[in-house]
Amino acid sequence: MEHEGEPVTDRAITPVRLCDLEVGRAARFHEATLDAEALDLLRALGLTASSIVRLRKKGEPCIVQVRSTRIGLSKTVAGAIFVIPQPIGTV
Amino acid sequence: MAVSAAAAASAAGRAPHVALIGNPNTGKTTLFNRLCGARAKTSNFPGTTTSMRVGRFQHDGSPWDIVDLPGLYGMYFHGPEAQIVRDVLHGDGAEPAPDALVVIVDATNLARNLILVGELLAGPIPIVIALNMTDLAARRGVTISVPALSERLGVPIVPMVASKGEGLTPLVDAVGRVLGQRQPRSPMPSGVEALTTWADEVLAASGGSAAASAAPDDLTERLDHFLTHPVTGTLVFLLVMGGLFWTLFAFATLPMDLIEYTFAQLGRIVTTFLPPGPIASLFSDGIIGGIAGTLVFLPQICLLFFLISLLEDTGYLARAAFVNDRFFRRFGLPGHAFVPMLTAHACALPGIMSTRLIPSRRDRLVTILVTPFISCSARLPVYVLLTQLLFADQKFFAGIAFALCYLLGAAAAFGSAALFGRTVIRGTPRPMVLELPTYKRPSLRTALLTAKDQGLAFLQTAGTVIVAICIVMWWLSAYPRVAPVPSAAALRAEATQAGPASPRAQELSVQADALQAKAQQAGSFAGRLGRGIEPVFRPLGYDWQLSVGLLTSFLAREVFVSTMSVLAAGGGDPSQDDGVRARIRQMTRDDGTKVFTRATSASALVFFVLAMQCLPTLAVTRRETGALKYAIVQFAYMSGVAWITAFVVFQGLRAMGVS
Repeated sequence: MEHEGEPVTDRAITPVRLCDLEVGRAARFHEATLDAEALDLLRALGLTASSIVRLRKKGEPCIVQVRSTRIGLSKTVAGAIFVIPQPIGTV
Repeated sequence: MAVSAAAAASAAGRAPHVALIGNPNTGKTTLFNRLCGARAKTSNFPGTTTSMRVGRFQHDGSPWDIVDLPGLYGMYFHGPEAQIVRDVLHGDGAEPAPDALVVIVDATNLARNLILVGELLAGPIPIVIALNMTDLAARRGVTISVPALSERLGVPIVPMVASKGEGLTPLVDAVGRVLGQRQPRSPMPSGVEALTTWADEVLAASGGSAAASAAPDDLTERLDHFLTHPVTGTLVFLLVMGGLFWTLFAFATLPMDLIEYTFAQLGRIVTTFLPPGPIASLFSDGIIGGIAGTLVFLPQICLLFFLISLLEDTGYLARAAFVNDRFFRRFGLPGHAFVPMLTAHACALPGIMSTRLIPSRRDRLVTILVTPFISCSARLPVYVLLTQLLFADQKFFAGIAFALCYLLGAAAAFGSAALFGRTVIRGTPRPMVLELPTYKRPSLRTALLTAKDQGLAFLQTAGTVIVAICIVMWWLSAYPRVAPVPSAAALRAEATQAGPASPRAQELSVQADALQAKAQQAGSFAGRLGRGIEPVFRPLGYDWQLSVGLLTSFLAREVFVSTMSVLAAGGGDPSQDDGVRARIRQMTRDDGTKVFTRATSASALVFFVLAMQCLPTLAVTRRETGALKYAIVQFAYMSGVAWITAFVVFQGLRAMGVS
């Protein structure tokens, strides 16, 4: 897990599950191991390749923000989305 | 500029069609209401406008047809709402293809909204963009250069606040200008990924940025934590639902009583002024009884839709769906099913319609099949009647029984969902993904318009059916006319001998009327029909009259009270009480015993909680599932569950000595 102020390293670009991200932390969408319909919906809500997602709340539901869209995700979905945490202050 | 619109309309030989399109929750229906004077339901729960609505707007004396489309995130999207929109844009539905599109865009969430704009710009239909919620965007510090954005997109853009009616006139003028015109279009990228990149570029070029509108909102964060928390979220949900149903019963009772009282008086006036005979009977028992039986539901339906609309508008329902997801999933239902089930407390029809917002077909099917178990307003008068018959002078127990009806219906819905998930519609509900809309102050105007709209829709659909059934029931119970029975004739002769003015003569006449009416009911078409099907319901404790009541209420359950009222009109003693409930309480079987014993009333109550007795619901199930088999399964399953449970209740009570 990335820590605040830590420089970008190889470890920093390791994808993590969205549900494991720190609250408030921004991350870049990497991939999601979900079925096509769920992926369609996520893409429609703005979670496209390389989009920046910010975790707003952990747990059930997990709440994330993509641009201005707040999205509620069940923990199962949040656990199937992989993101690359971005260094603090860069996004 | 109205000249262009008029020319376009004239060329097509019809009024121009202007479609309102946009992402869910951008204010399409609010704008539709502003333009057309309120014909549709608006919401702050993503995807609640689930079908196309058409309204008429007058622009400088020229009529325009305004089409309100369901919200969608993208044209490429799979799902019923996207299919409706695609059909409308291609002119494949009942309406012609639109002559212009008004794309409603949320100014606070421009980047995502522009993706749909990009898809539509690839098509040939002239576009005007309504940049809505600019007040909210300004409060959040979002800056957008409208001229730059308009130039970049090549279409007119009108900033507006639809909820306050701001920007309406410029928008209408802009639509008038594009009607019948061809807009030059640049090639557009295809695919959601490419469109997203394009949208970000457009936003940057117009002086805006995705980051500016994504600034964190402390109040939203706090509210979301509180309202979706397993403990506080559940407590708030219980409080909100408790308050909703308390309000419903506290405020709907008075108008319902007033409606019943008014129509009872009206019936009395009719029988006073019209000479006795079939015409007076048709008016008092058939028409007035039928209208009263319909109107009595109206306060509950309107009030419930009013309250749901307020809740939707605040943005709370999306959060409540997540709170419910934890519970619903245990029974194989998704949290999305919460809104259809809540709506079904008013009426199953809009409840089933709103299942369109459930993304998974499997989840949608299960929800559609079990939603009619939820106690709708139409069941209410039946519950009131039967609980009062069950506990005549024990209001407390009647109240408990009434509440248990709601619980039994909900338990049957959840139990059946679990059963379906393990048998005919195997699988588990899809994990929830739902946009959480911005919290807003609810609009009283929208809530009132929704209540009015839904009330009228109920009267137009169910109301006409109910009144028609009541008139048919009156005819079936009034014909063929039965010859005077000897025992009644003997009593009348005795009354004549006693002297027409004496109290004894009046008493004998009443007895003679009752005997004759009883014979009429038994010999009528309704009586013969009831006797024909009585063996099916005899194990549940029902005689032929109650069997007729059940038979007619298979078309619409609310008909039960009015059918029983019509059947009881001649069977009881009219001098005692001509109120609906009192008349039914006095009904007797052929052997002189009461129709509604405690065991029979309990059995009938359970039957009405569980049975599928609504023809329009079956029609909607058929339409929404796209297959007749699901309507058949729904009818057979619910009827079977109702019969078996009512049988167990009746026989169980009899075995315990309760008669």
